[in-house]
Amino acid sequence: MNEIAATAPPPSDAERPRARRRAWRKALHRVALLLPGAAILIFWQWSAGRLIKEIYVSKPTAVAARLYELFSSGEIYPHLWTTGQELVLGYVFGVTGGILAGYALGRSPRLAGIFEPYVMAFYGIPKIALAPLFIIWFGIGIWSKIALAAIMVFFLVFYNVYSGVRAVDRELINLTLVMGASQRQLTTHVYLPAAAPYVLLGMRMAVPYSVIGVIVGEFTSSTQGLGLFIHEASSTYDPAGVFAGIVILLAFVVVANVLAGKLERRILRWKTPIAHAPSDI
Amino acid sequence: MSEAVLSFDAIRQDFPAPGADSAIRVIDGISFEVGSGKFVAVIGPSGCGKSTLLQMAAGLLMPTRGGVRHRGRPVNDVNREVGFVPQQAQLFPWKTLAENVELPLLLRGVARAERQQRVAAALEAAGLSGFEHYFPGQLSGGMQKRGSIARTLVYRPDVILMDEPFGALDAQTRMVMQEDLQMLAQAAGATVLFITHDITEAVLLADHVVIMSQRPSRLLANIAIDLPRPRDVFEPFRNAGFDAAYDAVWSVFRSQIDIRRRPH
Repeated sequence: MNEIAATAPPPSDAERPRARRRAWRKALHRVALLLPGAAILIFWQWSAGRLIKEIYVSKPTAVAARLYELFSSGEIYPHLWTTGQELVLGYVFGVTGGILAGYALGRSPRLAGIFEPYVMAFYGIPKIALAPLFIIWFGIGIWSKIALAAIMVFFLVFYNVYSGVRAVDRELINLTLVMGASQRQLTTHVYLPAAAPYVLLGMRMAVPYSVIGVIVGEFTSSTQGLGLFIHEASSTYDPAGVFAGIVILLAFVVVANVLAGKLERRILRWKTPIAHAPSDI
Repeated sequence: MSEAVLSFDAIRQDFPAPGADSAIRVIDGISFEVGSGKFVAVIGPSGCGKSTLLQMAAGLLMPTRGGVRHRGRPVNDVNREVGFVPQQAQLFPWKTLAENVELPLLLRGVARAERQQRVAAALEAAGLSGFEHYFPGQLSGGMQKRGSIARTLVYRPDVILMDEPFGALDAQTRMVMQEDLQMLAQAAGATVLFITHDITEAVLLADHVVIMSQRPSRLLANIAIDLPRPRDVFEPFRNAGFDAAYDAVWSVFRSQIDIRRRPH
């Protein structure tokens, strides 16, 4: 990309006000972005105790105080550690399995013909209904939650990768074969890069699903974890605790999304054409 | 004709027809040869199976009957001795222009230093120096097409198969590309099999024009074009003998086109 930056002419004096205007617009956009969130928080704070009893909805300042207390006392750390482990392992297993299975079935129409109906059938099962079963199979510890998160992530990634691999242009493949590619080179130079946007989309969409899987598992039965913490808080009429737990999960999803977006932009930089491309023949 | 590089021998091709028991016959017994260093253009009405011939030469499709030989060897697997320039440029969008042109050399195990030098030479010849690090999405249609041709020429294939390569380009770009192709092919002494539906293009570029009929297609004529080179692609009518050559092709081809005579 440096080359393009180097060939672009330096901004002339006439262009400078335009650059400044653009910076302004960007700043304005940031403010506008924060406004709805701020409005909700302010309304929440104001209405708690006025429109709705605080025992039902707590209020932002109470949630913030609770969060501070949880972290300063260290009470939350064991829960965070357990849930973090479950999330990461469940996500990694699910994504790995989804990519491998999706790729294998995408490349081999024969395998797909046999296994696709089965995958389709299992896809239809509400995974949440499996939670009690997984507790019986894998115990009350982290592995039942990992299994639940992994299976939710698996299907999502599987379908994305499967359709991504099947969507690769046949002509491009033939062309590469004529150029002299072996099957293995075909994989690295055509199939994987062509499927990359689908893989990454699946990975991004899978983040919240892994959270759902883990939390549902912890709700069902567990000895430690954020899900358990939220569950206990709600059964002891502690809405501030519930919201504090939700805020932590929210933060996790947001951070994971930002990281995934960064990765996506990096890997798919060919997908974002620069505004000033050369136009001569 | 000098030594034949490609020979099509009594090619027949049937395709299964959707919803019908019997197959559709697309090609019905076509034979012709492409001589070494020759530029052969194939023209025919749309749907007559012109592109199918290229697929067979590349070993991507086996004819129902008959066979294709490449320097005497029957083609019955992917033919890596050929270069294929498709209708759309089909550059790999995730690779930069230089990486695209480098790919065939990489796949063929050419050493790094030689790769770099040959890629630079191919891009230079195609007039694309300075755009090495652009992605195809950042290049114009004409530049992508040049890149596609450079990617084929870089590994010096024995025959270059071109499937209506300039069909999708605007008229001006097209003339420039025809001129460049003529120069590049002549300089490299390349053997080219070129599919087109444009008679002017066929007559301007080719040594031989093969004319196919409507489906099920047969070979109507194989006409030698003896215009001196280099030919002026910008003003075709200024080439001495162009009118006669065009007429020779058109007189055969017109029977295949459904010209509705309007009452005056």
